[in-house]
Amino acid sequence: MAGSSGYNFAGQLAGRLGEHSRLIDAATGETVSPSDLPRLISSFAARLLAAGLRGGDRILIGCILSPPSSIAYLGAMYAGLVPVPIEEGILISTLPELLKRTGARAVWTEKSAGVKELSGTGVLALDGHPGEKRGEPGPPAPCAESDLAVLVATSGSTGQPRFVMVSHGNLAANTEAIISSQKLGGDEQAMLILPVSYCFGASVLHTHLYQGGGVVFDRRFMFPDKVLHAIRKYECTTFAGVPTVYNILLRRSNLGSIVMPSLRRFLQAGGPLAPERVAEMQRAVPAAEFYVMYGQTEATARISCLDPRHLDEKLGSAGRPLDNLRVRIVDEEEREMPAGQTGEIRVSGPSITLGYLEEPEESCRVFQDGWLRTGDLGHLDADGYLWIDGRKGTFVKMRGVRVSFAEVEARVAAVPGVYECAAAAVAHPEAGEALALYVVPDKEAQDIVERVRRSLPTYWTCESIKAVAEIPKTARDKVCRASLAEKAAGSNG
Amino acid sequence: MDDILAKVREVFHEAFGVEARMITIETTPNEVPGWDSVGHLDLASRLEGAFGVTFEVDDLMEMESVRDIVRLVNAKL
Repeated sequence: MAGSSGYNFAGQLAGRLGEHSRLIDAATGETVSPSDLPRLISSFAARLLAAGLRGGDRILIGCILSPPSSIAYLGAMYAGLVPVPIEEGILISTLPELLKRTGARAVWTEKSAGVKELSGTGVLALDGHPGEKRGEPGPPAPCAESDLAVLVATSGSTGQPRFVMVSHGNLAANTEAIISSQKLGGDEQAMLILPVSYCFGASVLHTHLYQGGGVVFDRRFMFPDKVLHAIRKYECTTFAGVPTVYNILLRRSNLGSIVMPSLRRFLQAGGPLAPERVAEMQRAVPAAEFYVMYGQTEATARISCLDPRHLDEKLGSAGRPLDNLRVRIVDEEEREMPAGQTGEIRVSGPSITLGYLEEPEESCRVFQDGWLRTGDLGHLDADGYLWIDGRKGTFVKMRGVRVSFAEVEARVAAVPGVYECAAAAVAHPEAGEALALYVVPDKEAQDIVERVRRSLPTYWTCESIKAVAEIPKTARDKVCRASLAEKAAGSNG
Repeated sequence: MDDILAKVREVFHEAFGVEARMITIETTPNEVPGWDSVGHLDLASRLEGAFGVTFEVDDLMEMESVRDIVRLVNAKL
């Protein structure tokens, strides 16, 4: 790995694109050819620099599952800027907050209608297909390995959005380790239904392009058969999904009858998928290997991977650490736990990120002496395989996205008529986990449950809302989530 | 058909919290926040309950607009 000032992950990636490196929008058929892609990345970079932006400037990138937003993301990094990829809908609805938190000097969206009212703020609003207004292509901006490459949004324990600072070296190290763990060849074509603003989606984009392969984007997963047909049509070799995605494929698609002869592998991460579902996936599509993986945004993307050759023998495990990472398990007194015993999972290696943006205290707490405290509980077995046993209980993971209980409870508590509330996570067949909410009304408001329901964002999955007389608390006056979860499980039979 | 549409709008209100009057026969998923892959399943099971019908996998794939939903429900009643 190069450690010189000439280091730029997007530059390296652009230099490795090959004859299979095309980007395709499955919904429209729009294709960026392998001969155009490197030039589009570098000319978009030139356009940003010509607009007055400079190395290290942050730029919000509105992501939809499409070639243009991926080119804009890579082009910004190529220019030495720091892209902040955000799902376009979220970017538009929370723009002032995002600008404040990231200090971004520019915003790019695919369509000009996306971002309005930026005049007077000093923030540049850019739009349009990266191919429309070309700059003169140039070499990648020189960066150091430890320079900030991208800010990736993730949810924080306080309920505020937080940004993980990922360096050029982090991206290269994780990309290379993932490629090796998944045995990616030079002719791969990924089907991507996960946004590039999510570290798992980004890792699929990075690895496939870095190997000289391509990516097909499809935003139609609500009609899963369309995506399956697109895999067949565009001869995709890789499909990546979170547990929700596989639950939907198994229950609500024609997975078993749509033949996909090109497909070599399924990738699964983003929370635990029941071992029975993994086995079902294998039976449904026996020709494709099934990779179970574990990761965190704080570790760039992936941490461990279960080699499909050992899937039957180690079903339920998250596999072995990637080959450039070390994993250890510690108890609350920081003592290393022997094989078989559960403790907190700690990870160290070149893909452990630089920390959280402008949160020095939390960064010090989570990133200690090169070790990431994942907050996940797990154990290693005698063969060095990692088994995830749970989380420390501050998050619910719905549709693969972590949301802190603090955020949920703050939102519900703000509903007029709510005296107190508590949230628990319950298993959900499609979303992986869903919310079970308990609300203590401050007076006999008859429609409190309905009003709470209406206050929830539509991207949260809520299994139940119950009005109760009191919230169970621990001796230290903390919400006793374990007893809430039991209560929810019991009441659902 | 108008009766079906009125009831479909109510189901949209329950499923996604959108005002029923915002839902027209032309409405498509990208106009309704939350009408994504998981939202689609939730919507389908609520529609099944509201109309006493059952959808097959292929029916779900055809529900690309409110118009499609009304047509499918009508065919099953």
